Amino acid sequence: MKKNRSLWMVKLNTASIALIPAAVAINYIGKLFAETLKLPLWLDSIGTIFAGILGGPILGALSGLINNVIYGLTVSPASAVYGIASIAIGVASGLLAYYGMVGKLWKVIIFGVIVAFVSSIVSVPLNYIYYGGQTGNVWGDAAFAFLNAHHVNIILSSFIDNISVDAPDKIVSSIVAFAVFSVLPKRLITLFDNSQETTTLD
Amino acid sequence: MQNISLYVNKKSFVHDVDFLTKLIYIFVFIAIPIISGSVIIGLLAILISLILHTCAGVLKKLIPIVALSLFVLLSVIIVQAAFIPGYHIVFFSLGPVHFYQEGLIHASLIIVRFLDILLVSSLTVLTTRPSDIVETLQRKGLSHRMGYVINSIFQIIPQMVSSMKTISDAQRSRGMETEGNLFVRVKAFLPLIGPVVISSLVGTRERAMALEARAFSADAKRTYFHEEMKYRYKTPVRIILLLLLVVSIIWRVL
Repeated sequence: MKKNRSLWMVKLNTASIALIPAAVAINYIGKLFAETLKLPLWLDSIGTIFAGILGGPILGALSGLINNVIYGLTVSPASAVYGIASIAIGVASGLLAYYGMVGKLWKVIIFGVIVAFVSSIVSVPLNYIYYGGQTGNVWGDAAFAFLNAHHVNIILSSFIDNISVDAPDKIVSSIVAFAVFSVLPKRLITLFDNSQETTTLD
Repeated sequence: MQNISLYVNKKSFVHDVDFLTKLIYIFVFIAIPIISGSVIIGLLAILISLILHTCAGVLKKLIPIVALSLFVLLSVIIVQAAFIPGYHIVFFSLGPVHFYQEGLIHASLIIVRFLDILLVSSLTVLTTRPSDIVETLQRKGLSHRMGYVINSIFQIIPQMVSSMKTISDAQRSRGMETEGNLFVRVKAFLPLIGPVVISSLVGTRERAMALEARAFSADAKRTYFHEEMKYRYKTPVRIILLLLLVVSIIWRVL
């Protein structure tokens, strides 16, 4: 990642706009593959993380937002509200990639943990409003019930419920996103770098 | 090509209502049960939404949407009724587990609120064509770039799903295992998703060029392909909805 590229550039070039549908589709395909392989993870945020790495926090946030709008229109209308958590995932991955959490495997794992942490912070209030603090995942809810029965604060147990499911998911997603990023041709990467004047299309 | 959106193409008076009025309906029908704080009002809102689903002929499509959240709701009942400390009145017991009355009341509140949100938003999604939503929002000032993004996703996802099938077959014919223990299946994930993702990203470049060749980033004022759809009873319906909201606020304050 080059440091001179502008981090909060709001005006997106056409290539970045065209990346958003691809990112949303990658999310969708990731979830589909996870289901066909019967993996115990969702893997439905690879595209959002990838858009954050490639195009920065604004593009990551937009991909996350539109991903959940589409999710609402195609799978579960009430879940569109979790778009706020997706936006947080996109912003977090854009910032982490910009500040150099890339390259080595241990860095990518920390990247995944931080993204999971951020998305849990945002999800907890939503889980609380919707389901009284639960996530609907067997292991997470078992932890929630256990902690509650031992008089742990409801917000803390809801957070642990969420992050115990989220952390493995986001770590694997980040590894996949970086694996793809590292094999992409350079001419494709420079297309989304908005500090470059020579390679833009518009 | 398969259609991924939930929209059901039928003719009914619910389908005729314009998107903005439906947005007001979503807001009002979610706000009223929360403002009133009563389970009965919540159940009433759910009942009205169910009747509207039936009138629109989309009840069959609603079942899988609700089924998707059944597990969470079941988990809510169990955890809220049996594992939250501080409750005293035992409602019934299953072996060593006691279900408390206060917990069940709290769980029913959560479930009614959740079903209300689910039904209200489902009705809108099931009866409004996604491209109509985008067009309405564009007329209200959404940028054409975002409109393009949302519309194009409905074409890109089916394309990628079909290329995903091709790639799965190709990798399997090379002897990759997709069944077996967890480690085997996790290992299969990257070779499956990698080619799909990279081909779609290479396609992004082509798509950006095609868009630019058609003056996508030009600043000129845009025209619409379709004429704006007018809903005849828009004003009375909106007034009734807002009146309901006002009445519920007054009822709550008094």
